[in-house]
Amino acid sequence: MEPAPPGRVAASDMGSLTTGTSGWRRRGAAAFIVVWLSVQVLVPLLQKFEPPDFHYRWARYSWGMFSSIGTRYEVRLLRTRGSGGAEPIPEVGRYVRGYRSPEPMRMRAAYWSEAEVLDRFSRLVSFIARDRHDGYTYVASIEWIRGPRADEPLHTEFRAQAAP
Amino acid sequence: MPRPPRSVPPEDSFGNGWFGAVPSCRFATFRVALAVTTLVFHVPKFNAFIRDYTASAFHVPPAFGWLPILTPTAGAALAVLQYVAAGGLLLGVGVPTCGWFLAATGFYILLLDPEHYSHNAHFHLTLLALVGCSRDGLSLARLIRAAAAAARCPAWPERLVRLQIGIVFFYAALDKVFSPFWGTSGARLPALLVVEHGLGLSMLQRLNQVVTRAAPAALSIATIALEFFLAAAAVFRPLWQTGLVVGFVFIAYLEFLVAPGLFTWDMFASGILFLPAADGGWQVLLDPHCPSCRRRRTLLSGLDWLRRFRYVPREATAISTGACPGLQLVSPRGQTLWGFDALRVQPAILAGPAFVVMAVARFGGGFLAARGAGPWGALPYVLFTAYLALWVPGVARHLGRPLHAALGTHARAPRNLDPPSPPG
Repeated sequence: MEPAPPGRVAASDMGSLTTGTSGWRRRGAAAFIVVWLSVQVLVPLLQKFEPPDFHYRWARYSWGMFSSIGTRYEVRLLRTRGSGGAEPIPEVGRYVRGYRSPEPMRMRAAYWSEAEVLDRFSRLVSFIARDRHDGYTYVASIEWIRGPRADEPLHTEFRAQAAP
Repeated sequence: MPRPPRSVPPEDSFGNGWFGAVPSCRFATFRVALAVTTLVFHVPKFNAFIRDYTASAFHVPPAFGWLPILTPTAGAALAVLQYVAAGGLLLGVGVPTCGWFLAATGFYILLLDPEHYSHNAHFHLTLLALVGCSRDGLSLARLIRAAAAAARCPAWPERLVRLQIGIVFFYAALDKVFSPFWGTSGARLPALLVVEHGLGLSMLQRLNQVVTRAAPAALSIATIALEFFLAAAAVFRPLWQTGLVVGFVFIAYLEFLVAPGLFTWDMFASGILFLPAADGGWQVLLDPHCPSCRRRRTLLSGLDWLRRFRYVPREATAISTGACPGLQLVSPRGQTLWGFDALRVQPAILAGPAFVVMAVARFGGGFLAARGAGPWGALPYVLFTAYLALWVPGVARHLGRPLHAALGTHARAPRNLDPPSPPG
């Protein structure tokens, strides 16, 4: 193909010379824009100021960057039997990849609540106890380091007894 | 300086509506920038989520009960497809499919476990979805070739991204107004986890921490005001120029202070959408008979993704002197820049390639530093500081001469072996 003369556009580029949007594409795009902007404006607003009281609260999906101080905590996962001491949970990395036992693990709940942290570890020890059914008691011991709610104790522990 | 006629009509500043046509090269440059951060940060991070999730026997219930649990086979397929889709975005192949696929996969992974969520990821996925709306039609190869200047695409995807930036800054500011950790207390600021940079930059970190602890309330109020201003600047076109400068400084400060992962780099990439494009606003004066000028034109054309440069034969200008003086630019306001001055202004004009270099330095440096290969994490800050140093008065006197010798004056007369030059 010969090069285009100066000031003109080569024929191969004409396909991208879109002059705008028209017809049903335009109506579809307009509907998409309205829905997109409505969701982007209303969802964060309703999350921050939840009805019916409309009081402010920090919410996960509402663009509250750096607004809250993320909770820091330390977790120990272990198991015990009778009056024996703490033992490591075998194959703990198989249950949650990257977790260790019985060494403490320092964690940060940057975007999730203390209730979600408690729920996670409560479910985890129950799951392990159910899976192993070896008569041990499986324990998740959580020490809140920074930022717990006022009504939350500084130390929380979950125990789940595995059936023998 | 007389201004020759433009080969491409400039974008109408105020007349374009949502469904009008705008230069495609701007959104394509933004897409390439976003694809680079997707490839070097987002996809590796989300593939690590997939790997950890599928290797774990225990899972919390997903956000919605109907969401399917990820199996190891499906996880491996998603991991590969994410790289393919990110590559597609970079090369400009199947952009809508790739953008929406990455966004949908990302939101699915976020909803599988609340521990996967972060504002960084949320914002990046939002931008990927909007890139999926693009009909810019410019592959990376076409973006590098000069013909891209004439391509046009609908305005609404880039308008939507700009509004999205405004929405994000508005809610970030609103949250800080009501948050007990910001407002007039500023309690959040001293608790920020600052990044240690080393290599002489730690002094700046300490200075920043001293200021933060001394006046947290004032800084809190200033941050809120700044974010409200940036929200307004993203929406109102007359504020774009000021907003770009203020936003760049603010985001660069955040990146230096807390290095919040992808967020700052997505904001830098989004800044491209507030820049002029395909306006040929900067004139590059060239000697058509000079092989060095022709090589320079080839190089600049490949890097000028926003099509800011217009190549003007030096004979057509009033400043022709007979000997080729090297790199010579004329700014949109008519100011003529030579040699060193013309060279150091180019990273600001060539925003796309400059972003790619800095993003690769940031995430590549972070990758090496995380593997104990040395203080590579400071690489982007060292590069940026070195660039700022070029603007220190007196530096031009020391660096200008050797640069001019390397890139500058050369014989105007063509040599026998030089190929014939194209006109213009």
